[in-house]
Amino acid sequence: MDTSNPAVFVNGALLRMYVGRRVRTVIQVIQSDSGGVTGKSTDDHQLVVKGSQPTIPLTNFVEVIGIADSDRSIRAEMWTNFGNTFDTNNYNQLCQLANGEYKHLFI
Amino acid sequence: MFSSSQFDANSAFSGGGFMPHQSQPADSNPSPARSRDSLGLVPLTVKLISEASQSGDEKSNFVVNGSEVTNVTLVGMVFGKEERASDVTFTLDDGTGRVLCKRWASEVFDTKEMEAVQDGMYVRLNGHLKSFQGKKQLVAFSVRPVTSFDEVTFHFIDCIYFQSQKSKLQVQGSSIHQPQLVDSSLHTPVQTGSNNYQTAPSNHLSSQFGIDGLKDCDQLILDYLQQPSSSERERGVHIDELSQQLKIPKKKIMDSIASLENEGLIYSTIDEFHYKFARG
Repeated sequence: MDTSNPAVFVNGALLRMYVGRRVRTVIQVIQSDSGGVTGKSTDDHQLVVKGSQPTIPLTNFVEVIGIADSDRSIRAEMWTNFGNTFDTNNYNQLCQLANGEYKHLFI
Repeated sequence: MFSSSQFDANSAFSGGGFMPHQSQPADSNPSPARSRDSLGLVPLTVKLISEASQSGDEKSNFVVNGSEVTNVTLVGMVFGKEERASDVTFTLDDGTGRVLCKRWASEVFDTKEMEAVQDGMYVRLNGHLKSFQGKKQLVAFSVRPVTSFDEVTFHFIDCIYFQSQKSKLQVQGSSIHQPQLVDSSLHTPVQTGSNNYQTAPSNHLSSQFGIDGLKDCDQLILDYLQQPSSSERERGVHIDELSQQLKIPKKKIMDSIASLENEGLIYSTIDEFHYKFARG
């Protein structure tokens, strides 16, 4: 049992609170190039995700887990395809709850 | 018939309704761990499991935030899967922590299901919480790959919901507005104020509040009156509407209304048929 390295649920607005820390978020992929993957967060912010992408093609929605680089970018350790449909509103509200009064369930 | 001696109280009253000192009425405020015995699968995060304490009895149950827990459900990513002759072990990482899991390869069903599980995959895991050599472990009886990732979001919201329902039990009777997770309106009612976990005064409300979400009439009415659509109305809600919307007979509504009004949780407005939730 090890809870020493959790990944905090963040959206675009919450990312700035965890710069330098391990975070997780779901983005909708806008474009992907050598500079990284540009995506839209569940609260409509534009985020850039750097780091070696997986060999398989990315679906529309991707979960990234990694270290928050800045208030707009993440250095990904892990990418998971979340498919082409995803309820961003639910996820967004989860991020707010997980950082609000139910924080103790997560970190 | 009654002897003049006062020392005969026990025998004198033993036939009557009042039983002096020996037989107290059953504990009206049951300890949380016993009263809300968790049935079914409790949705948890690894973080919550790490904070679980072991309840004293031989069944080696765990107590998470005041309720007994044995069967749990988690969603997370599989790592370090190792297959052996008798079992399969792996680590489950749900973003809040990592926990060791074991699946006994007792039936063909078990082995076949575990074959489909690979490292890096998101799975829904159902199992028992166990302690082995002082460390908490999960003994899984069901491990299913996640196919629709809304399940990931759902699981964590489920964890939050479960915890919020428990605290709702504890604060029943006070007029604290609970976070409305079902509300699908645009704004998120996030409660950032302090959470007052007051223990309810003894035998305050007859909480027939089961884990499967059954609520007593009082709570249903309070919930309805707290919705923005109800609280915004100056005149409040008519008891006919409560009866129709909650599908509860009017007589029962009126009984609950009387009791809630007595406790100061609601008040009547233009007449004795219209009620509003009393904000604290």
